[in-house]
Amino acid sequence: MKFTCEKNSFAREISFAQEIIASKNSLSIMSNVLLEAAEGSLSLKATDIKVSFETVIPVDTMESGAVTVFCDKLSGILATIPEGDISIEQDDSKVIVKPTFKKVRFQLKTISSEKFPELPVANDEAFFAIPSKSFKEMISQTIFAVSDDETRYFMNGVFIEKVPGGLVLVATDGRRLSYVKKDFDANIPDFKGVIVPPKVLGLVLKRAPDEGMIEIAVTEKSIFFRFGSYRISSVLIEGQFPNYQKVIPESQKNRITLKRSDLLDAMKRVAIFVEQKSRRTFFAISNGLIVISSEESDLGTAREEFACDYTGPEATIALNYKYVEDPLKVMDSENINIEFTEPNRAITVSPEPGEDYFHVVMPMQIE
Amino acid sequence: MTPKVIFHVDLDAFFASVEQNDDPSIRGKPVIVGALPGHRGVVSTCSYEARAFGIRSAMPISEAFRRCPQGIYLVPRIERYSELSAAVMDVFSSFTPEVQRVSIDEAFLDMTGTERLWGPPVDAAALLKAKVASATGLSISIGIAPNHYVAKIASGLRKPNGLVVVHPEGTEAFMLELPLAKLWGAGEKTQERFRELGIRSVAELASFSEARLASLFGKAGGAFLYGAARGRDSGMMTSSDQGPRSMSAETTFERDCSDRECVEDVLLSLAGELSYRLWAEGYRSRTLALKLRLHDFTTLSRRMSRGSYYLSSSDSFKDALALLEKAWDGRTEIRLLGLCFSDLESRGSCEQGELFADGLSGEGTARSRRAEGAVFEIERSGLGKVTRARLVGRRENRGRPGPRGGEPAP
Repeated sequence: MKFTCEKNSFAREISFAQEIIASKNSLSIMSNVLLEAAEGSLSLKATDIKVSFETVIPVDTMESGAVTVFCDKLSGILATIPEGDISIEQDDSKVIVKPTFKKVRFQLKTISSEKFPELPVANDEAFFAIPSKSFKEMISQTIFAVSDDETRYFMNGVFIEKVPGGLVLVATDGRRLSYVKKDFDANIPDFKGVIVPPKVLGLVLKRAPDEGMIEIAVTEKSIFFRFGSYRISSVLIEGQFPNYQKVIPESQKNRITLKRSDLLDAMKRVAIFVEQKSRRTFFAISNGLIVISSEESDLGTAREEFACDYTGPEATIALNYKYVEDPLKVMDSENINIEFTEPNRAITVSPEPGEDYFHVVMPMQIE
Repeated sequence: MTPKVIFHVDLDAFFASVEQNDDPSIRGKPVIVGALPGHRGVVSTCSYEARAFGIRSAMPISEAFRRCPQGIYLVPRIERYSELSAAVMDVFSSFTPEVQRVSIDEAFLDMTGTERLWGPPVDAAALLKAKVASATGLSISIGIAPNHYVAKIASGLRKPNGLVVVHPEGTEAFMLELPLAKLWGAGEKTQERFRELGIRSVAELASFSEARLASLFGKAGGAFLYGAARGRDSGMMTSSDQGPRSMSAETTFERDCSDRECVEDVLLSLAGELSYRLWAEGYRSRTLALKLRLHDFTTLSRRMSRGSYYLSSSDSFKDALALLEKAWDGRTEIRLLGLCFSDLESRGSCEQGELFADGLSGEGTARSRRAEGAVFEIERSGLGKVTRARLVGRRENRGRPGPRGGEPAP
């Protein structure tokens, strides 16, 4: 195998591969990236067994062939050589990397490409295409609510479900829940709701373009994404996602409307005194006014009040600071609604005017 | 600086005494609490009558049974012991705010400066014994000394119902007269080494320089022995790795142990004891630490934190095993095993509501947590006794060991 290519475009793909590879053990094939040169193109593959990645870039191939190299070191090499063309050549059990314009030469040990695991593939017919930007928005509205508690493994991913006319994404850690539903013209094939690990969704969020379409396919065990020259897939989380519909309040009695930036800024100030372990923050609401305050501690306390649009009974709700801040950070509307029925029942946070997403947060005990 | 007045208080044969108190028919008999004969397990506590047969804590049940087949073998009722332990600790707290609970049956009381309240230490000790006895019917042994280490040794000298006072100016003399075998922290291996080296008394040990001891017993062991022979506190009693809000339990093996089953059994009982105490005292924790002291005094600890709270014993045992796996090579002899919950939070305060209130499909741990909580609440409210199905029949098994002999514990 021998090819030359422009360093930057090669380095970009290697760093993508490096993001997927979880192993740092140089003896493991899982730490290696597979390079496969064919006429005019190079395909790269990497996997951590669960998440797999594949892409193709144009190169000048002198000799076709395939080999795997330790991705960590390869990416280290590429980070240090200056821009320009580089040549990569296989020499027996080694790969030689050198810039075409400098007397530097790196030799990397290889592992045979035959040892590289077969990556899962989906039939072309299984794919449906939706606008990449919309799908990325759906991911951002939900991914932060995923539970990292491994004992609740079935909440360790975003639930993706086909509904009439579109897709629903839901994530929860059992204490808060984020929901988004978008309609798509695409003819989405039927699939049973699946739990998708955040790692692959994070990669899509980071790498998929804002323009154009993303193609998605769901099979029994895996989910597949295609955009640009990339093909990414991930094994699904097995298990039963909780019955989320049951915990979404059908209607709420009271509604507060306020400026999102007012709320975020006030919370930032109050956060100085919010107790770090429980993150309990009090929201006291009365006609036209909201008061946000921290727990009283030996160190002191913080309290801020500002105007809001509200008429209804006075109420104080205790909420985990993070559970309010997280959704506010991913919303972009100027105003937002907080709806509640009773201080100890789930509240709903949504944009004003309403859009296709909302967040449900379970309060904390006041006393 | 006025010398400190430290009490080390130890409940005499605690678990066995509770059993004998609760059931008059077994008073005066050899009672062994730990496991039923024919089952895996170690002796947790045994009565003084059983000690006459050579039975000791942390001895495998099979060995105990060999020595005393007529003994009364019982499975521990940690919830009952916890309840009484809490009552005893309450008595301690009424004497001084500075109570450092070491385990379910042991505590250090810093009584410095309490003379005007309780009189001289000896009078305070007598009062403490009387109050514990009237509150629980249990007897305690007390060691009084200027530091934790010497207090711990002193409390062990005249059990049961003992009282040994070591005055600050008499500390060195006390240590020099101490039989070498009573030097706390010097276990069987170390004692054997003493014999090899011809060291027959604490006085002889005290004549060695620290460097010489380090060359003979390793750095940690040498430093410890050098201080120990002089009655100095090496801080071993008041382990500094515990935050202020932590709860721990530990067991020192009678003989350094490298038998995996035995180590795991001790771990299981520690996890059980600690989980019940955590619940009983209204705390919860997401951080579990394992402490391992090897035969050469090397002390290792491993800790882990997770997203959800520990409230069930099986839950914490599972993680304790994982920590053991990380810390122990499976061969090196262990002298002490401890478990600790840290970053305690009080249960109920600041409770974060759960969206899925009636339980999640597949969420076994939350269910078992609620079950254990419910069991505990039932027992505390006096509505009745609840036990694990696999332990049913244990009262019937009393004194009739071995019907299920050889069957491995579930």
